[in-house]
Amino acid sequence: MTEARTKRSTRRSFLRTLLAIPAAAFFFRNIRLTEHDDIVEVDGWILKRSDIL
Amino acid sequence: MIFHDAAAYAASGFAPKVCVIGAGPAGITIARRLAAAGIPVALLEAGSNEWTEESQDAYKGMTIGDPYFDLDATRLRYFGGSSNHWAGWCRILESYDFEPKTYIQNSGWPIRRSDIEPYFDETYDILGLSPFRPDVPVTDNFRLFQVIKSEPVRFGEKYAAELGASKTIAVVLNTEVTELSGDGRSVTGGKLWSRGQAAGEIHAPYFVVATGGLENSRLLLWSNDRSNGGVVPNAAALGRYWMEHPMYITGDALITNQAFELDHEGEAFFMPSPEAIARLELPNFHVQLETAPYRGVKAMIAGMACYAAPETTEWLSHKLGQRLQCTARVHMDWEQLPREHNRVALSTTERDAAGVPRIDLHWKKDESDRRVMLEGMRLFGEEFARKDLGRIHISEWVRNGEDYPDGMEIAGNHHMGGTRMSDDPKLGVVDRDCKVHGMSNLFVGGSSVFATSGQCTPTTTIVTLALRLGEHLSRTISNS
Repeated sequence: MTEARTKRSTRRSFLRTLLAIPAAAFFFRNIRLTEHDDIVEVDGWILKRSDIL
Repeated sequence: MIFHDAAAYAASGFAPKVCVIGAGPAGITIARRLAAAGIPVALLEAGSNEWTEESQDAYKGMTIGDPYFDLDATRLRYFGGSSNHWAGWCRILESYDFEPKTYIQNSGWPIRRSDIEPYFDETYDILGLSPFRPDVPVTDNFRLFQVIKSEPVRFGEKYAAELGASKTIAVVLNTEVTELSGDGRSVTGGKLWSRGQAAGEIHAPYFVVATGGLENSRLLLWSNDRSNGGVVPNAAALGRYWMEHPMYITGDALITNQAFELDHEGEAFFMPSPEAIARLELPNFHVQLETAPYRGVKAMIAGMACYAAPETTEWLSHKLGQRLQCTARVHMDWEQLPREHNRVALSTTERDAAGVPRIDLHWKKDESDRRVMLEGMRLFGEEFARKDLGRIHISEWVRNGEDYPDGMEIAGNHHMGGTRMSDDPKLGVVDRDCKVHGMSNLFVGGSSVFATSGQCTPTTTIVTLALRLGEHLSRTISNS
């Protein structure tokens, strides 16, 4: 039971990291402005500006 | 009728009106169309009924420039030609693929899509397709389009019985034309090679070269050398403007739930509007989202991200303010521009068993390829985010202009150009009827006549053009 919970927790952490890339990339501050005010490119992720506020 | 070598054919006394060289999708389609009009056709196939190492050896060659597939692996030399390893993906060139673009040198065809539309229904019959569903606009600049992933037609298998029973078509296996002879106005004959030896000549009032998107150039270059320009009198473009569809994985995506329809393999295809690519002065391209691209452990992780970790996805969904579905791989294919220097040439050192020089393929991507990848991904990504369809990530190597990665597909095994269609004999080898400029009785079938490549797989357009050529030739012969 405990082992299963640990595995699930590890998996969740891994996936959280995996899927949090857009947000994490913001901290690298490699931001490219686009021709649209509402869109930015952050480390290759093309995001709405509101995604990272 | 099917003959298994040139000797058996010669003994039959068959007298063709047309000699079609090459029994792949184009050659078989042209022959069937001519036969339907009652015109006797000799259909020559260099290989046999099945793959053999000996036959395939004639396709060995060298590529100079960018890494490319082995030339004896990217095509097949036996009855049915390269349809024998075709994946079955179908799409016809778009209307604007045929139109000239001021920002692309040597763009535009002398015909329009409307010229081939009358042959669509018959093409669908041959390839077992239903008509394509209309495109679905998903953003201002992109539309979802259908690639029909058909059960691939192996032309040799599909038509063997019909051709065998035909009294109008004489299929001659194990027999190649090593060179055509010509006097600068017409082809006068073709030298045959069959079962490892010279096998005399074939004569017919008309000849169609349909040996494939690399081999058409090779045969005509060699024939022209041997006949001092008597086969392709206007040879400035011969072998040149050769094109592929480069294709690479250029990024990743997170997709909003049910934002658009995926096909049965979990994929979706998007292409830009003509206005968008004109504004950015880009070649045509498409973006393919693959939601289940992985195998093994990677598949499990991707699967968990998609379906088995709702809390995590919900967390990110909240972060992005969206209902995100799952991850996808972004795959991009694009139109390589017709460049004179990308060309099929004859080797000066290597020859095949019949004594024909092997191919030296000069092929290199350039700055336009880099630009369409990056600008295309940015345009798609920005539209994707603005419409809240998901979020796109552009791979670092694309953004930084780094070397093309090893281990990706490179290109589509789509061999186009070399005998391109143009009204100008300086810029093309064949005219709008696929007739070699300056020659009265020599025609070319297959993707070597493509003036530009568009963004889609070529086989459907090859069959459509073959039907058009078959009908044109039927009319020409009937009227004469």
